[in-house]
Amino acid sequence: MNFSGETLDSEYSVSCKKNSNILGFVWSHLNELAIVTDHGIELYTVIPAKKSLKQLKTMSATVQWFVWCPVNKIALLASAHGSQLQPVIIKPGSTTKLAKVDTEQGRMSLERDVTISTLYGIPAVLILRHQSGPQTAEVHVHLLNGPGQAPVKSHVLKLGLSGRFAINIVDDLILVHHQASRSSQVFDIALPGESDGTVKYHVAIAPAKSFKTTAIILPGIVEPQAHICELYSPNWVVFQPDIVIDAKLGCLWHIDICLAELCTQIRDLSLCTQVALKRTNGKTVLLDLLLSTISQPKPPLDKLQESFNHINFVYRDWAENELQSQLASLPSAPLTNTKLVQPRVLIDQNCMFEEIFQKINTENDLRKTEWILISYMSSLSEFGITAQHNMNKLLVMTLAKQQKFTALQQMVQYGVISDSKPLAVFLLSLGNMHPSTTQLALDMLSRLDAREEIQEVLLSENQVLAALKLAQDNAQPRKFLNAAQNAEDDNLLHSVLYYFLNNPQFSVKLKKEERLISYINEYNARFGNYNT
Amino acid sequence: MTSRKYIELKNFFIFNSEYGSKEGEELNKILYYFPSSDGTEIQIKNVGLVEGIVQFTDTFKPSKQVSSLHTDKLRQLYFQPETNFWIVMTLYVPLITKIKENVSSNEYLGDDLQDNVYESILSQAYHMYRLFWGSFCHTIDTYEIDVLKSRLDIFFSAYLKTLKLENADILNVFAGVQYLPLDKQTFLKVQCFVNKLESTWECIEQITFLYNEHVIWNGIEPNDMQIIYQYLIGTLLPANIETELQGGSMPRNSPFAALKHGRFITGPSDLKHAKSVGTVPKIYLTKNEMLPKEYHLVVYRSLSATMCLFINGNMELNVDFFKKLDEFISPKLTPVVSEIAEYCTKQVISPNVTETIPKYIYFNKMNLAYKSTVHLDNKQTGHISCSKDCLKIMADMKHYNSVLGSSGERIVKTRNDFWVVSKNSNLREFFIVLLQKNANLIEISDEVKKICDSELKGIFFHQF
Repeated sequence: MNFSGETLDSEYSVSCKKNSNILGFVWSHLNELAIVTDHGIELYTVIPAKKSLKQLKTMSATVQWFVWCPVNKIALLASAHGSQLQPVIIKPGSTTKLAKVDTEQGRMSLERDVTISTLYGIPAVLILRHQSGPQTAEVHVHLLNGPGQAPVKSHVLKLGLSGRFAINIVDDLILVHHQASRSSQVFDIALPGESDGTVKYHVAIAPAKSFKTTAIILPGIVEPQAHICELYSPNWVVFQPDIVIDAKLGCLWHIDICLAELCTQIRDLSLCTQVALKRTNGKTVLLDLLLSTISQPKPPLDKLQESFNHINFVYRDWAENELQSQLASLPSAPLTNTKLVQPRVLIDQNCMFEEIFQKINTENDLRKTEWILISYMSSLSEFGITAQHNMNKLLVMTLAKQQKFTALQQMVQYGVISDSKPLAVFLLSLGNMHPSTTQLALDMLSRLDAREEIQEVLLSENQVLAALKLAQDNAQPRKFLNAAQNAEDDNLLHSVLYYFLNNPQFSVKLKKEERLISYINEYNARFGNYNT
Repeated sequence: MTSRKYIELKNFFIFNSEYGSKEGEELNKILYYFPSSDGTEIQIKNVGLVEGIVQFTDTFKPSKQVSSLHTDKLRQLYFQPETNFWIVMTLYVPLITKIKENVSSNEYLGDDLQDNVYESILSQAYHMYRLFWGSFCHTIDTYEIDVLKSRLDIFFSAYLKTLKLENADILNVFAGVQYLPLDKQTFLKVQCFVNKLESTWECIEQITFLYNEHVIWNGIEPNDMQIIYQYLIGTLLPANIETELQGGSMPRNSPFAALKHGRFITGPSDLKHAKSVGTVPKIYLTKNEMLPKEYHLVVYRSLSATMCLFINGNMELNVDFFKKLDEFISPKLTPVVSEIAEYCTKQVISPNVTETIPKYIYFNKMNLAYKSTVHLDNKQTGHISCSKDCLKIMADMKHYNSVLGSSGERIVKTRNDFWVVSKNSNLREFFIVLLQKNANLIEISDEVKKICDSELKGIFFHQF
């Protein structure tokens, strides 16, 4: 039926093959209708101009019931009381049978226990398995990522309960609602779990919790009344991915995950980091979590380090991809279509610096800052990420403020603090606090082969001759003569002046340039005439 | 026929010139005297002589106080660590006795006894005492003179026996520390481990981490580290390695006993059955010349790693604390140590003993790091890979280093074709010994430049 406004515009009708019972129909694509019967699937296209339907394709199969996933356009056809599950992809104009879901032999399942949805971009079939006896129910997750999208049983969620369940997927987290206990458990298949080689076994990431109570405002006689909705009511029907409908109340809800709350339920920081890293809005939650952990009087360095490792794992992969795409985008390289996948939560060094290190009370607890910073930097180093200048500088400052110059020396010498000119200059500026920083700065400049800068340092320390030796043919006579003249050391002036006069490269210039002649005059004034 | 007498200690005494100023009370001046076999009269006479020399030389208002007295047969060294307290050491000058046609003639080798080397030994003796007992004044202020006297007696009677006067050389002047070259990642692992320990126990204020005899991480000030390093390398660790080798401390009677590597060197040696904490030395660290602070020095050793934990002196140590500490350290330390060991085995270079290969000693005043290819061990046993004369030349050069200013170079050629080169720059000192026949200065300079380029990579060191 075609509606235009509220009036019936046009009507189509189609009848399926004889002897077939229609189990249901789905709109698979624009103007395409798939009718599922107990004998298979019939695919039609609607031709509005002719006001008729044209059969595109039929596929025969025995079907008792089916489950449809509108996102992935996959129908899961069940036969033999649900012990045979056949996924079918419906593409425009065609249908493709995929390999059967590998269920245990003869194990039946009910329609309401089978869910088809998407986890981390991969279509997934979730089957709720009730166990007899003392064992509790499990959810078997079959990911359609095998060869030719064949379903592979890859995860088992251990529920630890039995009774009636319903499943929703929110932000790639699997929510399993249990009616009897009126609570929901949260699972994440991306987390590490016990594995038997092919199948990973997961337990809930946090203790089961109930939904936040919700209320609807009912217009009352005197004033509106709030009606507190019954949660986990038998009238609930769930739809994928995150919809709950209360048939009696006539309410439709979307389920949201309150990540910050979830994180407070997870005791283990490392686990919590892994959960938050995979969530769409995980960044702020994770940063808050880190900051509050660090603000404890005795932060658990072990756990923080693990957490940093998870963060930097994502960061490293992203940085590598970024680099590769930059290389690929060079004009010579052929254009690649691979679009960069931005990780859901990316915490890079700048982010760490601004959101964590600048927010720690660095003045009062320098020692703690040092610990956390070292811990973060060793995690960076473990993943082969070069620490940025702001990190290095913060470490130097934290150590210098504590007068830990021995530690600073060791950090630089073992390469924890990486070399850079700005950092060398910063170390030089600390020279009045401890002489060792000048030494470190000079070493660093030498490793960077920054001869000009070393010359300047030596000149500022009145080591004129040493600087001159370093400069060799690139020396600027005026600079050195000026330093020698100001040093109040006649021998030095003599040495420097004669060095330039005896060097053919400089001698001509020296006698011509007016500004330089003044130094010869000065020399003559001190020693008598200089004879050529 | 010739016979030799080496450097030997004649006497060693400590006195305060302010005490017993009245006649007849001179004995009160003396706080410690070795050997005790010298009668009181000799003791008083010797102290009197030193006082006289000090006062006499003082009338000339020298830039620094008298530090040594040279005579043909004896050398006397003076050190005033605290106001009016003097430590004096008298040494026999080494001697060669030649017997020719039944006539013996003595030749005293005064030049073999180098002032700066033995002055260092003297000052180190004081600092070692101060590490364990605090300053003289501190003891007198808190207790009384008799306590000081008995402490000095206990300490020095044992300490003087361990002095290795014969093989003292330029390394005593440096009193340096050997660092372990390590890659960044392994170093960071050590560092993180140390931080975890420090953050878990607030009372652990500093930690020093050694692998074999090499420092990887040092949390204390260099001047304190100098003394602690000497104590660890010279006394504590060798004694322990001996017991380890004898198998005394590790019961091996049960093959099923879990393999456990770590144990406390200072503290309860057998944690399972320990009833008391054992002996944990108390030490005084003088951070930045401020008031000395008391610490418990707890040393933990596992495999080849040694950890010194400097624990706040006000903390009461008990067995439970050690047990918890062991539980924490033991599982975490083992992987770190094996990683260090793995790195080290990759880097092993067998030492070259042949004379023709240049030898060098490197010292950095800023972190007291030294490296020597001249010395084949660091136990001052006299195993050296170049002639003793060259080492002596080095010590002499070091003595006159101040003349060079902030950077400079000097070259000495010996009669037997050895060249000794001393360079200093950027607060570091570098000594090289070369053996090259018929070489000239240019060739030697080139050779030295090559050595500098290969050995002093990554630091700024002047090229001459």
